[in-house]
Amino acid sequence: MSQSNESAQGPSRRRLLKAGLAGTLAGGLVTGRALAAGDPAITDIQDWNRYSGPGVDAQPYGTPSPYEKTVIRRNVPWLTADPVSSVNFTPLHALDGIITPNGLCFERHHAGVAEIDPAAHRLMINGLVETPLVFTMADLARFPRTNRIYFLECAANSGMEWRGAQLNGCQFTHGMVHCVMYTGVPLRAVLAEAGLKPGATWLLAEGADAAAMTRSIPLEKALDDCMIAFAMNGEALRPEQGYPIRLVVPGWEGNMWVKWLRRLELGDQPWQQREETSKYTDLLASGKARRFTWAMEVKSVITSPSPQAPVRHGRGRLVISGLAWTGNGRIAQVDVTIDGGRNWTAARIDGPSLPHALHRFYLEHDWDGSALFLQSRAIDEKGYVQPTKDALRAARGSNSIYHNNGIQTWYVGTDGVVENVEIS
Amino acid sequence: MLKFLEATAIAAVAAAALCGGAVAQDAGAGKRTFAKCAACHAVGPGARHRVGPELNDLIGRTAGSIEGYRYSPAMTKAGQGGLVWTAETLQSYLADPKAVVPGTKMTFAGLKKADELANIVAYLGTFATTAAAPPSAAEATPPLAAPAAAATPGAATPGAGHVLRLGRQATPEEIAAWDIDIRPDGLGLPKGKGTVAQGGEIYEAKCAACHGGFGESVGRWPVLAGGQDTLQNDRPEKTIGSYWPFLSTVYDYVRRAMPFGDARSLSDDDVYALTAYLLYLNDIVTDENFVLSDENFTAVKMPNAANFIDDDRAQEAHYHTGAAPCMTACRPGTATIKTHAAVLDVTPEEGGDDRQPAAGIQ
Ligand code: HEC
Ligand code: HEC
Repeated sequence: MSQSNESAQGPSRRRLLKAGLAGTLAGGLVTGRALAAGDPAITDIQDWNRYSGPGVDAQPYGTPSPYEKTVIRRNVPWLTADPVSSVNFTPLHALDGIITPNGLCFERHHAGVAEIDPAAHRLMINGLVETPLVFTMADLARFPRTNRIYFLECAANSGMEWRGAQLNGCQFTHGMVHCVMYTGVPLRAVLAEAGLKPGATWLLAEGADAAAMTRSIPLEKALDDCMIAFAMNGEALRPEQGYPIRLVVPGWEGNMWVKWLRRLELGDQPWQQREETSKYTDLLASGKARRFTWAMEVKSVITSPSPQAPVRHGRGRLVISGLAWTGNGRIAQVDVTIDGGRNWTAARIDGPSLPHALHRFYLEHDWDGSALFLQSRAIDEKGYVQPTKDALRAARGSNSIYHNNGIQTWYVGTDGVVENVEIS
Repeated sequence: MLKFLEATAIAAVAAAALCGGAVAQDAGAGKRTFAKCAACHAVGPGARHRVGPELNDLIGRTAGSIEGYRYSPAMTKAGQGGLVWTAETLQSYLADPKAVVPGTKMTFAGLKKADELANIVAYLGTFATTAAAPPSAAEATPPLAAPAAAATPGAATPGAGHVLRLGRQATPEEIAAWDIDIRPDGLGLPKGKGTVAQGGEIYEAKCAACHGGFGESVGRWPVLAGGQDTLQNDRPEKTIGSYWPFLSTVYDYVRRAMPFGDARSLSDDDVYALTAYLLYLNDIVTDENFVLSDENFTAVKMPNAANFIDDDRAQEAHYHTGAAPCMTACRPGTATIKTHAAVLDVTPEEGGDDRQPAAGIQ
């Protein structure tokens, strides 16, 4: 895609300002001269048109074109103490459609990637069950399977933006989300095999990594739509996404989707683990903190134009594109404004509209070259409307860290450079 | 008995009438739908109570009436009030349990599809021990009991659920090896003890390099102590002492995940001692000779425990405007910029001299 070439220069605004504009200008001149005799992309014989290329098996596992080499996950080194307990971000600005390629799904680990030999991996069910059980990966493959497309969003996505515009790029402001098709087995089928005892109301899911990640999940959700997944987008889970198995908890915060899943325990109360007390609780201005804020709220962001995907083509037709999602099911509508929320236009949702999946929207716009304040606002099927950041701060203060679903503003300058701003 | 049979027959007719011609009952399909119930309910010979009561001989039985199962007061009352399980009452209950029996402890969202409802009722109807199943279902399914009945008893029998007979029984040793979680009520605490002073020594050797000698942290590693009375500040400091609601979380987490990079290397007594020391660093205990053990563990209360509330986001004003979102002339004037990310300029770039903002990710 064209945007990705543009982001080759990295996400720096200063660099974009210097190099980007010079590039546009020079490009215009070259094009002007070249057109007299014809575009050399057409009139010259290109190497790839003359010489044969690499044969099959040159890359037994295919990789993207070298021209897409800047479309990669990136991290923000100062956010965390150590890359082993850290996060990187999905390059949303360079992607389209609703499916995230496996190699670009953001990563969040608490003790690095567990490199698990599936032959030595087990899933145990214990606690308030009639028979505690152990499954091998081969056992799990014999349950009836199901395929579902779901988004996964980290509760801390956009968490750095609570105090004001901070990171310049939707990869960094919104890139802790991805959406893939999972193949796996319904959690309830696996639990039914062990038989739940009276009193069982909570489930503890535990990972096999060196953080032994744990979360308590109410049984009602576990039996409703949770899955144990072993594949994403048709191939085995990537190690960084929990190979060989992970929990899928549709619409709920990513931390609960325990990777490298090795144990499910049934109990009659929550375990109050570190990830549901010290972390993933939302501190309010009052000093009280909300806990068990599981569902992800209605949210959207314009992915292009955005700081890493500036407008290079000047005035005229401009495709405004973005993503919307909600933990409440489907997105009903996305509105886009170009004047900072004075007037809104309904965008076009294109592609499948699936519950708990990303939705892709477009607004085709004739840009007159003036500065724009772009925002998108999603409304979900339950009627929840994405709030402004000011409304969120009025209700919660600025210390929540998690669950920031506020409306994002991109300022598009007359030069096509895009910045993350907050406006009044 | 006769009455029961009658009820069954009537129920079958009622179900057929209710569903009209459009939804045929299919006990076979109902068996598949039962997968949604099987985690909580058993049926067939030898069925026992699970989270919910066993469901044999269900059609015609009074709600909340099976002995040896503890129903919610709501369900018992509903039965006393005359609620009997017929095809019709079952279908409405299963479509929306909380609407039909407000206060029922069956935490099940409900079956949404008419055919699923009809099929599950037909399927449950096949578990009448008294007589032949309703005619419509009789030939559709052989009694489901087959797997359970056929399964050989004994240690090798997989899954009490016997649904697919996959997996094998976990041994007590295996469970002990993995089940190391601790709950606030003390469930899971191993026998053992340790003092503040012992904890101090271990901490100095194994934790201070990252978390600092006083839990104040070195560099960007997590802060473990201090921060009391900062939760309403502009930059709150959330630590074990200022924020954590339960002591069990400290024991559980240190045992499963610390020291970072060498998890599961501490003995149970080490973890008691370290937990005691972390209480000391947070001024929750002040005596260096304090001994923390499985016996006094649950008596320790954390200062911030009362300040956690349940999720009430849906009540926030911005979700309750009631009006359709504004589309034109929604705000006066023209937009002006309040803050720029580019001004803060903390976006990473290769080789850049990134300035670091005060708050990172947690
Ligand atoms: C999460 C566990 C759970 C699931 C799943 C569940 N149930 Fe229940 N069920 C219960 C509990 C608990 C009760 C007892 C309700 C009470 O006492 O209020 C109950 C009660 C019932 C009763 C009343 C029984 C009586 O003796 O009065 C019926 C009938 C029933 N369930 C059928 C079903 C069917 C059919 C399904 C699947 C479509 C289902 N349940 C799914 C937990 C569950
Ligand atoms: C190499 C550095 C390092 C060492 C040594 C270390 N820790 Fe940690 N500690 C961390 C990191 C990193 C985290 C956060 C992990 C994550 O992201 O999930 C952490 C988290 C914690 C937490 C939770 C903090 C919170 O606010 O949620 C506690 C408690 C803790 N460590 C205790 C200890 C104890 C006790 C020891 C010594 C036995 C120890 N740590 C040794 C790096 C270290």
